[in-house]
Amino acid sequence: MGRHTYDANQQTAIRPTGGSRNDETRSNRMPVAIEAIGLTKDYGEGDSAVHALRGVDVCFEQGKFTAIMGPSGSGKSTLMHTLAGLDSATGGHILLQGEDLTAMNDRQLTLLRRKRIGFIFQSFNLLPMFTAEQNILMPLTLAGAKPDRVWMRTLVRTLGLERRLDHRPNELSGGQQQRVAIARALITRPSVVFADEPTGNLDSISSAEVLDFLKRSVRELHQTIIMVTHDAVAASYADRAIVFADGRIVADEPEPTAERMNALLMQERQRATAMAMAY
Amino acid sequence: MIRIGLRDARAHFSRFVMSIIAIALGVSFVVGSFCFREMMNDQVDQMMGSNTDHDVYVRGTDEKKDDDTDSSSSSMKTYNDIDDTLVDDIKDVKGVKTAEIVYSVSGSLVLVKQDGNAVSTMGSPTMGIGLAKGTWRSAHLTEGRWATNRNEVALHSYAAETSGLKVGDTTKLVYPSGPEDVTVVGVFDTDVSQAGAIILGLAPDVAKDLYQQQTGEIGRTQYIGVYGSGNKGQPLTNDQQRALADRINKALPAGSKATAITGDQLRDEYSQSIKDMLGFIQPLILIFAVIALFVGSFIIANTFSMIVRESMRGYALLRSVGASPMQVFSTVIIQALLLGLVGSAAGIGLGWGMVRLIVFGMARMGTPLSGAGNPSPTDMLVGLLVGVTVTFIGAALPARRAAMAPPIQAMNETVNPEKPVRPRAVTGTIMVVLGVAAWLFCWRIATVDGEPTSVGFLNALADRYGTGWPLGIGAGLIVIGVIVLAPALVRPAGVVLGFLPSLVFRVTGRLAVRNLSRQKRRTANTAAALFVGVAIVSCLSVVAASAKASVAGIVDTGLKSDFAVSSAASGRIPDAAVDAVKQVDGVKSVSTSRMLMNVKYDGKRISGTSFAEQPSLFTDVFAPVTMSGDANKALRDGELVVGETIAKDRGWQVGDTVTMTGERVSVDEEATAKAQADWQAQTQAKVTALQQEAQKLAASGDAAGAQAKAAEAQQAVTDAQNVDPSTLIRTKSETTRATVKVGAIISNSIYRTMVLMNDETAEKLADQQTMFTIQLFIAAKKGTDTEALRKRLVKAVKPYYVLSVLDREDYKSTMSSMVDQILIILYALLALSIVIAIFGIVNTLALSVSERTKEIGLLRAIGTSRAQVRGMLAIEAAIISVFGTLLGLVTGVGAGVVIRAVYGGNGLEVLSIPWDQLGVFLVLSIVVGLLASVQPAGRALRKPVLDAVASE
Amino acid sequence: MGRHTAQAVQARRGHDGKADNTGNAARPAGSARPVRQTRKSQTTRDGEAVARAVDLVKTYGAKDTAVVALDHVNVEFMRGQMTAIMGPSGSGKSTLMHCMAGLDAPTSGKVFVEGLEVSAMGQRQLTKLRREQIGFIFQSFNLVPTLSAEENILLPLQIAGKPIDRAWFDHVVHVVGLEKRLTHRPSQLSGGQQQRVACARALMARPSVIFADEPTGNLDSRSSREVLSFLKTSVHDYGQTIVMVTHDPRAASYADRVLVLADGRIVNDMSHPSYEQILDVFASEGTDDTDGGTAEGEERA
Repeated sequence: MGRHTYDANQQTAIRPTGGSRNDETRSNRMPVAIEAIGLTKDYGEGDSAVHALRGVDVCFEQGKFTAIMGPSGSGKSTLMHTLAGLDSATGGHILLQGEDLTAMNDRQLTLLRRKRIGFIFQSFNLLPMFTAEQNILMPLTLAGAKPDRVWMRTLVRTLGLERRLDHRPNELSGGQQQRVAIARALITRPSVVFADEPTGNLDSISSAEVLDFLKRSVRELHQTIIMVTHDAVAASYADRAIVFADGRIVADEPEPTAERMNALLMQERQRATAMAMAY
Repeated sequence: MIRIGLRDARAHFSRFVMSIIAIALGVSFVVGSFCFREMMNDQVDQMMGSNTDHDVYVRGTDEKKDDDTDSSSSSMKTYNDIDDTLVDDIKDVKGVKTAEIVYSVSGSLVLVKQDGNAVSTMGSPTMGIGLAKGTWRSAHLTEGRWATNRNEVALHSYAAETSGLKVGDTTKLVYPSGPEDVTVVGVFDTDVSQAGAIILGLAPDVAKDLYQQQTGEIGRTQYIGVYGSGNKGQPLTNDQQRALADRINKALPAGSKATAITGDQLRDEYSQSIKDMLGFIQPLILIFAVIALFVGSFIIANTFSMIVRESMRGYALLRSVGASPMQVFSTVIIQALLLGLVGSAAGIGLGWGMVRLIVFGMARMGTPLSGAGNPSPTDMLVGLLVGVTVTFIGAALPARRAAMAPPIQAMNETVNPEKPVRPRAVTGTIMVVLGVAAWLFCWRIATVDGEPTSVGFLNALADRYGTGWPLGIGAGLIVIGVIVLAPALVRPAGVVLGFLPSLVFRVTGRLAVRNLSRQKRRTANTAAALFVGVAIVSCLSVVAASAKASVAGIVDTGLKSDFAVSSAASGRIPDAAVDAVKQVDGVKSVSTSRMLMNVKYDGKRISGTSFAEQPSLFTDVFAPVTMSGDANKALRDGELVVGETIAKDRGWQVGDTVTMTGERVSVDEEATAKAQADWQAQTQAKVTALQQEAQKLAASGDAAGAQAKAAEAQQAVTDAQNVDPSTLIRTKSETTRATVKVGAIISNSIYRTMVLMNDETAEKLADQQTMFTIQLFIAAKKGTDTEALRKRLVKAVKPYYVLSVLDREDYKSTMSSMVDQILIILYALLALSIVIAIFGIVNTLALSVSERTKEIGLLRAIGTSRAQVRGMLAIEAAIISVFGTLLGLVTGVGAGVVIRAVYGGNGLEVLSIPWDQLGVFLVLSIVVGLLASVQPAGRALRKPVLDAVASE
Repeated sequence: MGRHTAQAVQARRGHDGKADNTGNAARPAGSARPVRQTRKSQTTRDGEAVARAVDLVKTYGAKDTAVVALDHVNVEFMRGQMTAIMGPSGSGKSTLMHCMAGLDAPTSGKVFVEGLEVSAMGQRQLTKLRREQIGFIFQSFNLVPTLSAEENILLPLQIAGKPIDRAWFDHVVHVVGLEKRLTHRPSQLSGGQQQRVACARALMARPSVIFADEPTGNLDSRSSREVLSFLKTSVHDYGQTIVMVTHDPRAASYADRVLVLADGRIVNDMSHPSYEQILDVFASEGTDDTDGGTAEGEERA
């Protein structure tokens, strides 16, 4: 069924060894866009301390669309936020094309966010008082850099936003807003784009649109996208799906399908239930 | 970035309104204080320019070192007197148009209006100046002519207006010797308003006479004023003045101890000293500016906290797409700068308007001012800078929070827990304790005779610095200490103050009390503004109440007489009036208090006044509180009864001998005879000359001409015979001497700075010229109907126009109304700062509510009614308000008590704490809190429950 | 779990025959006509309905960007049952609950709770409703931070001025296992403990129906299990009626009945479904959409 055998009776999960090694059989070995080494993140202290990330090792290839799945509280969002430099890690390293994010100060991170990292949130992606075009160009405006008009046109065309550029966010549908967000994330041609439940607030049709566009950006525009989602269907758009649970990676699936992902999720639930019973 | 900031600003505009108002008020006080000072200075300059407008002045060369320490410590120096005969020397100098001594008297004349009442305006004096053509360059006759004798007067236009008199009208002018008929012969105007003073143009010799009577100075003067002819009737330029002064100096005889200075120089000296005196006003206004700006700054901090909190997600988003902290910071700061600019601009306009209003008000009350009170560009810049800086300070911390929060945290909207308040509690308590100690120290210095403490070093300090320093330092420490300590007091205050509400409103009360402790600093800051305002008000209330009570106390316990008569113009009571009163039916005794001028004791003046009294003073008017000796006996025996303060000052004890010197003006027989002889000779010469001319004409055949001349000669003789002999009388002043013993030392507060002697002793020293009646005390015969007696007394003094009859109640109320008048202005300004403090409460509550959106939504979802939500917020606001007010009351009353002790000797014997007034403040504070909660509560309730609780 | 089961599920469920906005009514091959549970059969099965929605419609926004959140929904919630309302985001599940609970007013249609017409109530009546008929458990911000656990639990009763049944209080506290935490403030409790306090609070007043909005949304697996089992206990042991909105199939599996919403309509109504069944519904749902969705998506752009 899957590449990994899963022993429900085992207390610990088999750690995946990273996508790149498994892909040795593939024709092209793509460079690594971003990787985490021994990443840990804790919240709070004492009794109510939460270990959101427990020594995570993972590599993300360039030009790939990766989905990170897992139940609520699994730490998947935390992983993404930390990878993106939006949150600080308690321990471990994050290498973005060789540079260590965990060693950077705020100013360096700021520069990173302007140029090398793009971000798409679940909601509230756009500044309400600006038009779609202004929102898309925001990272460049902040940096004081001039926009690449050709790239801009490409993005706008690819995302189907030609007729919406001068609309404000409240004049756009949810799906359209997310597309503007994607364009904004891509305008600087970042090394990596992080998407946090990008279809979380959308209805089924808009969701499909957005996921499709994400896939196309990877295929046609050669971006690297890492997406967090709890939706197995969304994960099926990706080239690779990682399952997260209790701060660890418990499954790593290339060419995921919705059914496969659901199965994996359920396995994880059963395991968790079994563990909970034991307490 | 700027665009983001500007868009945000537009969106938040309604929030900013309150902040703009606060800044505007603060800046308006700042700018207003400058405008006011400018206006006053300008007024002074103008008046100087027109009233002291001579080109050159001649005065003494040596500065008089005066032992006179009672009057204001102005920077005006006085010089030695110079001989008035120098006028002749000066007149002959080239370029001198006129040289005269301008005589003026103030305070001893009263003009009577058309309707028969005395003309008097609030605080402004009535001045009589000897004016003839050319005496006062800046005065121009608009109608009629100048006065030539005692029964003529020319009026300044304002005086004419106020009195309703026109040229040709007859009225009475009350001279020191009594009222006389006068005719208005002219009206004159000056370019500059005289700030409500009533100026009368008298005939120059009349003015000279009055002046000499009043001051006792004969043949000497302080200043001779010179007008130069060098500029065709216009004021001389500075160079011309200089040149003229130099020439005059050369012409002054050696040994005259006189020197000529330019008019400009004198004007500068005068105006500087007056401006110095008025200088105290500006800092007073600035105090309120500080209060307003203090509150304004944290209103702004709160407002921006709200805005930042609500826009947190936006800032997080900006940060996540690469905005640097500086960029986020600037979007907030830009809004702040905009706000500051708008507020400051409004404040500048408001400040200007405030001064205009004050000028208008003062004109209404009889003190018209023509000074220009426009803010200079520097003033406006200062105002702008102040407003913008305060806004910046207020917004800086919230802006920093927005900028520094890591993006992810910003998205989660976690509220940072407050830093502990313990350090502040410790620091604050120490400061308050030290401040209280300083006040206790001050209090002991004031109330204890001898050494105030048992610590030598402290006593030495007390000696050196007196009560002023500990008072001030104590006040500073306590005020700042309380503000520092306040956050630590929030919880206990909440428990105590919330006890009652929690009892009545079980749930909402409890919630309200707990809410206050969440943001202790914020709660404390809000209460702090109210604290300062209430402290000042209650301190003043205590002082005022004590002042009134002290007066009442004196009057009730001390004053035995039934009536008092005094002059409304605070001048002399004519002797004729005294006689008239004495003859009124039902009067048992009349005690006259006559003030002696220029009396020295052992060569020095006293820091007080000397009075001639009768023994009835102590039996029928005020009983003495004797410290040593027998006051009654002393007065009867011609010994001195000395007030406690003076005795202490001079180190006098009962039995000491003192040599008094005074001045008496008496007729100089020789000089008078000579004057008369001169006049005779003059007339004779004139007549002879005329007769000779007549003869010449007759001889040359001009019979008519000869006739005329002869008639002239005859007229001259007649005139000479009809001359007013008083103008020929020459007086001399002589020093008188008397040696007396100190018979008693008394400690009544009113007598503390007085030396009393009986009439005989006084008359050895002074005479009618140098001593005059300023008050009468009348005791009624037993069994007389006081009401009827009063009517008779009023009738008796009516012809003198300016005398008023007061009974005990009147006496008390005149004092208290004076106190009240001063207080009104202060209360008004304070009310304004309290209004600002209220803004602070509303603002803080609004911020608190916006932070609790989810919580309030939750409460509503589980069944809290709207009324209960309102109630909860109302209780919170009321507790904050009461907290601040209580702190203010305690501090203010404490301050008032200490101040009263310090000034106990100066008329504040009795401590009176107006508990009812303070109680009203407390009740008001509760009402204020309730009102303040209305708007924030409304806002909270307008938000649909769903929006508040829905999960994202 | 095998493909045949999935296919059976697939056969059972399906879309309503709605015409979507693009007018594309084509359905992929293989889907069956929907089978909807009728009102009648519901009523006879489990006792009376505590709450009812009649032809509920809710739309947001203006013409062009108008969103239909609820599309003529009719449903009844039975007493003594735990009902889970599921669906992807944008399906209208939250909106349905908000309308049922009186937190939101429907554009048209009616809501009844214990026979009272909620949708027509004014503020006063809503307050009364919240005090007597309805209890709430939210995903987060459930507790008043300045009050202790005990005070939070007793809060609704005190607000309403009702007497407190101490025996019941002790019992509830015991069942949620918070005896030792009663004096703690929310900041001193873990997420799971906070939610349990919230549950206790909701139960204290013994309302006719408790509405829970993603109660385990912010919790880790263990805490979720605790809270859910407690909720289930309260239903079975005390006859409490609970309506829970969730997107978590695991949470839904605790329920006696699961309603699935999509695009504003009830597309599935399952009685005592197993976790697998729930999961299957979502899996197939998703697959179907993927094929159809992309095509539509292209056209849309």
